Amino acid sequence: MALTHPHTSRKGSRHTVALSDGESATRPELVLRYLLLLVVIVISIGPFLWQLATSLKGIGEDLYSMPPSFWPEEFSLAAYSQVTEVIPVWSYIGNSVIVALCNVTLSVVGCAMAGYAMARLQFRGKVIAIGLFAATLLIPQESSMIALTQLVNAMGLGNTLVAVFLPTMMSAISVLLMWNAFLALPKEVDEAAIVDGASVWQRFLRLGLPSVKGTLAVVALLAFMGSWNDFLWPLLILSDPDKYTLTVGLNYLQGTFADNPRVVAAGTIIAVAPLVALFLALQRIFFRGVAEGGVKE
Amino acid sequence: MLTRRDLMTGGSLTGLLLLSGCGLQPTGGPTVASGPIGTDIELEGAIRFQTWNLRSAYLEYFEGLIDEFVAAHPGASVDWVDQPADGYADNLQVDASNLDLPDVMNLAPDLAWPLAQAGLLLDIADARPEVLDGYADGAIEDYSDPQAGTTFAYPWYLNTGPIFYNRALFEEAGLDPDDPPTTWDELFDLADAMGDAVDGRFYMIGQLPAIADFGMYGVQVLDDDQERFIFNDERAVRMVERYRQAYERKGLLPDSTVLTYTGGGERFQSGQVALSTGSAYDVANFKENAPDLYANLGITETLTDTGHANMFSQGIAVSSRTEHPEVAIAFAEFLTSQEKQMEFAHIVDVFPSTEGALEDPYFTEDDGSDTSEVRVVAAGQLDSARNYTPVVWTEEMRVELQRQVGDAVVGRITAQEALDASVAQANRLAGVSE
Repeated sequence: MALTHPHTSRKGSRHTVALSDGESATRPELVLRYLLLLVVIVISIGPFLWQLATSLKGIGEDLYSMPPSFWPEEFSLAAYSQVTEVIPVWSYIGNSVIVALCNVTLSVVGCAMAGYAMARLQFRGKVIAIGLFAATLLIPQESSMIALTQLVNAMGLGNTLVAVFLPTMMSAISVLLMWNAFLALPKEVDEAAIVDGASVWQRFLRLGLPSVKGTLAVVALLAFMGSWNDFLWPLLILSDPDKYTLTVGLNYLQGTFADNPRVVAAGTIIAVAPLVALFLALQRIFFRGVAEGGVKE
Repeated sequence: MLTRRDLMTGGSLTGLLLLSGCGLQPTGGPTVASGPIGTDIELEGAIRFQTWNLRSAYLEYFEGLIDEFVAAHPGASVDWVDQPADGYADNLQVDASNLDLPDVMNLAPDLAWPLAQAGLLLDIADARPEVLDGYADGAIEDYSDPQAGTTFAYPWYLNTGPIFYNRALFEEAGLDPDDPPTTWDELFDLADAMGDAVDGRFYMIGQLPAIADFGMYGVQVLDDDQERFIFNDERAVRMVERYRQAYERKGLLPDSTVLTYTGGGERFQSGQVALSTGSAYDVANFKENAPDLYANLGITETLTDTGHANMFSQGIAVSSRTEHPEVAIAFAEFLTSQEKQMEFAHIVDVFPSTEGALEDPYFTEDDGSDTSEVRVVAAGQLDSARNYTPVVWTEEMRVELQRQVGDAVVGRITAQEALDASVAQANRLAGVSE
């Protein structure tokens, strides 16, 4: 990605360097930028690297040395194999994938439709509907959890994977994101399509969706991360350990009496790796989507 | 490094107190008739047994135990569910509000108390009066409501910790590593001396006092009726002031005054803190994860000014709505029997709660290894140990106390103000009117 900076430097001065986005900067400025970026990198991924290093350290190595060491003296994958011994990692990953994929699909479809309806359709109570979606953002999820378990149990869905993704798939924030993205489309395009005789579905599928791909990616990623990382809800609604998702299952790695920090670290890495991979794969679309919902020039 | 299991159990987002106070009220009372229940009949029926994060490490022990029970009672079966470490209190709360608690479950005193108050746990004192004599009195107290005269769980394993200290850091600060502190005031004196000597390169004390520490300093935490919190007397003020002095003279880790701080254990292992509470099972942990510390490890008895060490316990409760009370009781008693508790104590390095079990040579004779040294020290103090954390002490109260004491230690408020505020809040949360 190109480096951007709020204030652009004077062009044509002797010590300037041309940047890929057409801007230019003086050398000291450039050094400062990179230093700042390095500081941020150290702060944000340092702990993660420590976790990675810890998971690879052998028994008997000092984990808590000061200053912390990021290089294992003797590489060992023992912690990872121990994770697979303690818990059925693969079946937990399978459960997590099922839940996450269902959640992503339903969330993208549902939130896009809801967002489009609120942005482009006229119906009674529209303002109230938008207000309700926004209001649910204010209610802490935990406060309704016990009622929710009773509801889901009464529906006969208790202890099923469906129960894990059903209540979380339509998140208010995603609906509002989609609403905002559809609002940004010029109304005139829609009106022209109406004159040409396009139905609501045609306008939604052919005009609406193609122009909000970025936001769709954001919604998909949010849904994926949300269901991949969720701990409390699956724990409460699933009573059978065989059905646990990865995040819940990994909790078994925490020792009741003595922890093995290497195994816990290895579990964290296993849980985070798919998220990192997904983010890297989607990052181009993702950043476009973040900008899409914002101010339009 | 007492793990979270020892320090505080619940930590539920909503608080189990909801059950006994406002909020959701279970709509069903006990279904098991009161009065003595005999287990000498042919046992038949399936029960659900729930443990708290013990499957991954002790699978074989529990499978063996269940097989043995079922072999002796062919008509009975046990469905074992193990819950993960986090969210245990939330899980119990959901089960309780769905009236779907396991037949036999592993609980700590603060988790059991609200369930018992809601009438969801079987009263052992009523159902099995003769059996309770087999357990140590101190352990039974943890699961008893003196006002109602009930006992709502069988005591299971106990734990208590010696004090670990880093001999190298003692020497570096000019302190005698063979003369560790034996009282709280000695500890504070040594903390000041260490701060003066090394000026913050490392610290003596790694965490703020918890409610149990006040108890061991000789503060009366609850009034004589065991109802109202009164830990704002002169003695408590003096303790907080000693912490403040230690902070000012760099004997107390400054990070520990931050509300959410839980890293005292890691700081001890990284050599930034010289002294820490711990458990018998920590020694193996140090050996594997902090070899530098392990080489310099000093072990001494717990700090107490009352003659009683602090103790933690876990219990086994039976649901008052179980369909097979005979099977559930028989299984709970089998699990907490002397023989089974001794086996578990050998595997885990915790201590049995049955009467007289600690007289076993395993707990009294030091065979020269460092684990046995810790075990013997801990078992020795367990005899007179007490649970200094009141059963009605909740996570919210703990957080409030830590917040207030933290403010007092860094000098934002006085020690008296901090304790008055904590006591007022604790009494409010406990529902005790002014």
